[in-house]
Amino acid sequence: MSLLELKDVTKVYNDYVAVENFNFSVTDGELRCLLGPNGAGKTTCIDLITGRQRLTSGAILFAGDDICRLPEQSIARLGIGRKFQVPAIFKELTVEDNLEVAFSRKKDPFANMMTLHRSYGQKRYDEIVELVGLKDRLSSQAGLLSHGETQWLEIGMVLMQDPRLLLMDEPTAGMTEQETMKTSEIFNSLKGSHTLVVVEHDMSFVREIADIITVMHMGTMLAEGTLEEIGNDPRVKEVYLGSEGLG
Amino acid sequence: MSVNDFWTPFALLPFLNALIIGISLISIWLIAALGLTIIYGTMGVINMAHGEFIMLGAYSTYVLQTLIGIPFLLCLPLSFLILAAIGWVIERGVIRTLYRRPLDTLLATWGLSLILVQGVRLIFGGEPQYVGVPSWLNFQIQADFIHLSGLRLFIIVMAIVMVAVTWFLLYRTTLGICVRAVMQDKEMAASFGIDANRIYSLTFCYGAGLAGVAGSMFGALKTLFPDMGGGYIVEAFLVVVVGGVQLAGSVLSASLLGELNSIFSYFTNDTFARFVLFTLVVVFLRIRPQGLLAEKMTRR
Amino acid sequence: MNGNIYHNRKAQWAIYLAAFAALALLPIFFDSPFTLNLLARYCVFALLAVSVSLVWGYAGILSLGQAIAFGLAAYGMAMTMQMQYQDPVSDPIPSFMLTNELETLPLVWAPFWSTPIGLILTFGVPTVFFIVFGILMFQARVAGVFVAIMTLAMTAAWYSMAYDMQPFTAGFNGISPPLPFQIFGTEVDPYSAGAYWVCVAFLAVLTLGAKFLMQTKFGLIVQAIRDDAERARFLGYNVAYYQVVVFALSGFLAASAGFCWVLIVQYVSPTSLEIVFSISIVIWAAVGGRTSLLGAIIGAFLVNGMQSFVGDELQQVWMLILGAIFIGVVLFLPRGLAGFFELVLGLFSGRREPQKSDWNTGRTSAVTKESAE
Repeated sequence: MSLLELKDVTKVYNDYVAVENFNFSVTDGELRCLLGPNGAGKTTCIDLITGRQRLTSGAILFAGDDICRLPEQSIARLGIGRKFQVPAIFKELTVEDNLEVAFSRKKDPFANMMTLHRSYGQKRYDEIVELVGLKDRLSSQAGLLSHGETQWLEIGMVLMQDPRLLLMDEPTAGMTEQETMKTSEIFNSLKGSHTLVVVEHDMSFVREIADIITVMHMGTMLAEGTLEEIGNDPRVKEVYLGSEGLG
Repeated sequence: MSVNDFWTPFALLPFLNALIIGISLISIWLIAALGLTIIYGTMGVINMAHGEFIMLGAYSTYVLQTLIGIPFLLCLPLSFLILAAIGWVIERGVIRTLYRRPLDTLLATWGLSLILVQGVRLIFGGEPQYVGVPSWLNFQIQADFIHLSGLRLFIIVMAIVMVAVTWFLLYRTTLGICVRAVMQDKEMAASFGIDANRIYSLTFCYGAGLAGVAGSMFGALKTLFPDMGGGYIVEAFLVVVVGGVQLAGSVLSASLLGELNSIFSYFTNDTFARFVLFTLVVVFLRIRPQGLLAEKMTRR
Repeated sequence: MNGNIYHNRKAQWAIYLAAFAALALLPIFFDSPFTLNLLARYCVFALLAVSVSLVWGYAGILSLGQAIAFGLAAYGMAMTMQMQYQDPVSDPIPSFMLTNELETLPLVWAPFWSTPIGLILTFGVPTVFFIVFGILMFQARVAGVFVAIMTLAMTAAWYSMAYDMQPFTAGFNGISPPLPFQIFGTEVDPYSAGAYWVCVAFLAVLTLGAKFLMQTKFGLIVQAIRDDAERARFLGYNVAYYQVVVFALSGFLAASAGFCWVLIVQYVSPTSLEIVFSISIVIWAAVGGRTSLLGAIIGAFLVNGMQSFVGDELQQVWMLILGAIFIGVVLFLPRGLAGFFELVLGLFSGRREPQKSDWNTGRTSAVTKESAE
């Protein structure tokens, strides 16, 4: 059964069509890569799924339910986590507090007024800290982290939410090669236990992690298939990969 | 005021007169808001001292006219220059260091407004001063339902002139293209060789200068007090916010707010109209937080 | 946790408790009624500064409208005290209404015949107003400077109402209840140590309550929202809900200050709703340090103490000084005295956290993301 399903999704801004009749579905436990040149509509799609923008027509189903009219926080609570393209973290809080804010299942202000304890020491919390490798940085102010660490912190925060579906918008943007390697390790360890949609430009990274790739172009689906199929697709070569191909 | 005569029943001719008073109000609010719109729109700086810039414009007109004897019409451009110069100093001294901290600029400029009010009070005293209205504006348009002084008519004309000049500068000159480029994306503009800091300085000077001209006219219209600026600032901000921080938006919102205000005042009274109008603005922004005209979404 | 003792919670609580104990003991050293009354006034200002620190320092909502809650509560309290003096049979309406040609008591005044209802309204009306106003603003995702402008406009609107509705509010003259507040059969003399202790108690209890709240998960989430509201929203938090709650809490704190104010000055006028006053509160909090509740208290005492010290002849110059202090703090000490203190303590502690010079650029970007530019 598909966990996420986009049906004929269209988004129009004034006179510009960002996404047009886009169909897309992700099954439980899958890691899907979303590829495409700038302006193909990838981030718009993520925005539409998470409720940051409203679609013009079509439907978005999550676990069978239509979610396209829910506010952002309700969508998040259903189990969709999102990492932004430009890392978004709480800069003035410590790394520990950042993760703490993300960890909570209680979302009500009055319930949280009664909560004094912190989650450090709980199993899942410690595992995630270990996974994203920020154990030594827990008491640092998040605004002081390096770019790569900031990306990992946000990935860690999204994992803390314990979502059923993780949407990762360019998780390796601005990372060094070693950092990208480490990130692909993180993603590979998430495979199977989590469902992920990863928007990416970095082909070496996509090669490391991808099962199935969806290629977008001008707001529509261009091709979908395994790494090999996509690499041999002449249309993909033409519009996106240019003469380089998938190498 | 007694409670019984709180509500004025509708009558056509007085109501029409209220609408015309509204036009005069529009021109005043628009003139007061113009500099704010430009400064906030371009630099993202909330200038809480804008009302005090208007006050300084009025006092400089008073000095030029009463103590030096310069004719009123010449005082307008001179006030513009004086305030532009003051604006330049303030931009260099205070605003420049706070570009990335809009809330702090708001507070710093408010501290500045305290200093300006007190400074003027120390120099000129707290008692009211007057700017003389030139004799050629000493006429009244009197008809069945129209009562409009020459000065108010002059201010309406000047509002149109000032908007037109600002529009021309922004949309028909190379400088204006640079300003709009910086407005949209500072980094991108900088990479095309536009000196954003210079643009900011110029914008702030121009905005302050507009406040100077506004002050000259408001000084002629009303009495001069050191704290007269406070009387304009809130309305001016509302015009900017409701308009969506755009030139055309400010014109539209000033028109709307000005007319609504005089209609409410006609039926009730000035203060109650103010209360209703402010509440309406809050409710309006609930429905359209981006203002009347602006539509923008940040990418992340 | 890092080594800076400034961040040590136990040390913080110890300092807070010590500070309030010291405040409570002051009447031993100053027995002049005038001095006590002055100190009580400072406590009221301090409570206002705490309300700003809560809403601005912790939640990132720059409210220039704290005077609304303060003023509404002050009017409520003054009306309660005025009606305690009136007699239903022989003297049913306050004298200022007679001079304004009112023959019967206006409907809004009627509930104040009862002191308990009057008190409920004193605290309830401002808090409910802040809830409604907060819902209007925060559901629309108004943030940053827009909040500042809207709260400013609201303050101006209420000021003109109080000023202009003469038959109801006595206009510019204000309401001065002839007798001190009576409760439980006793009279609270504004110049007594008792009245001072009431103010200190309000300040201490509410500040410690706010301090506790900011250390719970709720406080953490509120600060997270300050840093990046959108991130918090995508983590599943209803940002507007949290903001409304904090805003209403700060309104309640300011309302309590308004209640104490009339208790100790026995007078209210539209000046308590003035814009200049409302922004002054922000100055106090900024000078002391907006991210520290105790800092805000110290800021209020310091600025107001200085103002009293400067004296009447120099009041003209005082505004110049105040303006200059404010610009100086904003430019060079954005976290106020508390931030300075944090830095100094950090120098003495073993592990030093580097201070980020552009510490609030994060907030700036959050503002631009949120505000409807």
